[in-house]
Amino acid sequence: MTWRYRFALGLFFLLFFFVVCRLFYWQVVRAQELVSLGKAQYGKEVSLTTERGEIKTADDFSIVANKLAYLVYVNPRLVKERDTYAERLSPLLEIEEATISAVLSENKEKYWVALKQTVDNKTKERIANLNLPGVGFEEKRLRFYPEGSLSAKLLGFVGKDDYGEDKGYFGLEGYYDKQLRGKAGTATIIHDASGQPILAKMNESVHKIDGRNLVLHIDRTLQYMLDRELKKGIETYGAVGGMAAIMNPKTGGILAMSSFPSYDPRSYHEYSDKLYRNPFITDTYEPGSTLKPLVMGSAINLDLLTPDTQCDICAGPVSVSGYEVKTWNDKYTANSTMTEVIQHSDNTGMVFVGRLLGLDRLLGYFNKFGIGEMTGIDLQGEIAPDLRPRDDWYAIDLATATFGQGITVTPIELLTAFSAIANGGNRMEPHVVASVETSEGDIINIPPKVLNKPVSAQTARIITEMMVNAVDKGESKWAKPKGYRIAGKTGTAQIPVAGHYDPNKTITSFVGFGPADDPQFLMLVVIDRPSSSIYGSETAAPLFFNVAKHVLAYYGIPPTKSESEEEE
Amino acid sequence: MIFTLALARVAIVNSISTTGEELVTIQTELEEYKRKNEILKEKYLQESSLIHLEEKAEKFGFVEAKSQINLSAPLPLARN
Repeated sequence: MTWRYRFALGLFFLLFFFVVCRLFYWQVVRAQELVSLGKAQYGKEVSLTTERGEIKTADDFSIVANKLAYLVYVNPRLVKERDTYAERLSPLLEIEEATISAVLSENKEKYWVALKQTVDNKTKERIANLNLPGVGFEEKRLRFYPEGSLSAKLLGFVGKDDYGEDKGYFGLEGYYDKQLRGKAGTATIIHDASGQPILAKMNESVHKIDGRNLVLHIDRTLQYMLDRELKKGIETYGAVGGMAAIMNPKTGGILAMSSFPSYDPRSYHEYSDKLYRNPFITDTYEPGSTLKPLVMGSAINLDLLTPDTQCDICAGPVSVSGYEVKTWNDKYTANSTMTEVIQHSDNTGMVFVGRLLGLDRLLGYFNKFGIGEMTGIDLQGEIAPDLRPRDDWYAIDLATATFGQGITVTPIELLTAFSAIANGGNRMEPHVVASVETSEGDIINIPPKVLNKPVSAQTARIITEMMVNAVDKGESKWAKPKGYRIAGKTGTAQIPVAGHYDPNKTITSFVGFGPADDPQFLMLVVIDRPSSSIYGSETAAPLFFNVAKHVLAYYGIPPTKSESEEEE
Repeated sequence: MIFTLALARVAIVNSISTTGEELVTIQTELEEYKRKNEILKEKYLQESSLIHLEEKAEKFGFVEAKSQINLSAPLPLARN
């Protein structure tokens, strides 16, 4: 009996072992496969696409939103009379009848063929009302620009990546692509035998996060006005192009930024890709005389001179290493003060300042003002041309750099450098986005950031007064808004061509801020190769003041002097 | 106990057996409302855009203000 008992027991153990092994195989080794198989039988996994975040101006207006659109498709097998079909669809789809007929007959064996990639909701409704057999619609979202091509280069556009997914390129769309895009998720919809979804088991796994909205510092009214005035200015002065930006010098917030020629983000593919770049952050130019207040500020900050210091080399052209440095109009004022040097935009006076400063201190201050460094603006594509290495600087380079020649900057670098003068010595990081709204409704504010303090508040005040004097008594005083204290400086830079400067082609600019005693805006206007005049005082300056008048009126800032006081 | 629970289960299953259909209806309605909202939002943005407002203002005969008056000093008062 004992052996039989043991045999039976052993047999049971063996069977039990096999069962355990089998269970282990199904429940552990092939568990995942079976779960997937089961899910496929009772549920359907659907991909949840995210909605791309919107871009809003400071007044909470969606300057970039999403709009509903449809792809129109047809099942050619259900189409009986192709010609009648084509005749009815043609006017709504704006496709020729013959083309629709050809598509239908070429694909008559297929179940699905696209007729038009994008139609709006109205067209979709009209097509649906025709009750044509086999016509269907696929819903999709498109980027929508209620203000048209306003600030296109600042915004960037949405195209496709290598996988056919939406991707932001250039400007804000490029820089904040990950935040705007969000995170796609999946959901499993469990259904019963008849295919109806079961309430309790809906949406088992959802990890979808919609894109975040960006709220900008951009003021829609100022942006609209700047776009309009800049476009007009470029036409008036017969220029090749132009750009301008307005910043709040106290926060670094970009209130408006514009450049032309531009493109339409709705049909970006129809434009040259050269137009996609935002030249305000990607193009370099020689700043010319707009650099003079910064160099002067450096010397004043080091107590090397005061506004009343007299220039003892300004009686005529100055010789530097065999080169002759002249003033822009070949007129010279002996013993002119530093205030007059800025007022007359005197190159020889700046050579005097450069000699007092010396190369090391000049380069040190260029670094402090952020020349040769990226500003950190939140736009895709910013560049910063490096300053030449210390050993490659010669005496003539030091001399010309003091009046902004032989040195290149991007407009955003210069604008940021001047925020230090307009903001009590504090250089602010330029920022376009003020806050980010998450899909849960949380708001993440981006606080203003002080980059550094290149000059003291007192130096900033002195330079401001010198710039106010330059505006009040300079070449472009006729264009200034009457009764306001505006600080500013013109710039005219020749364009280097094949080792020399072209005397007839210039890049003119004007940088300034106002009201000088409590700056509310800081603005830089750059005009590329104007043909009506080659001087900044006759092109960029009037445009600057024209925009400034609008800004002052928009902010409701009253003049500090009456017109009669101004004339005195 | 088992019998009671089984009966309860049958009753519950019976009562919610049609909710799937209701759910589909609710979801379809919800989608429709969302779609309508999107279309309305698009219309609202288009109508309130500065480009559109400027066009409308021009049509109604508005012109851009070319000059401004700043009241910087108190105005003299009429005595008589």
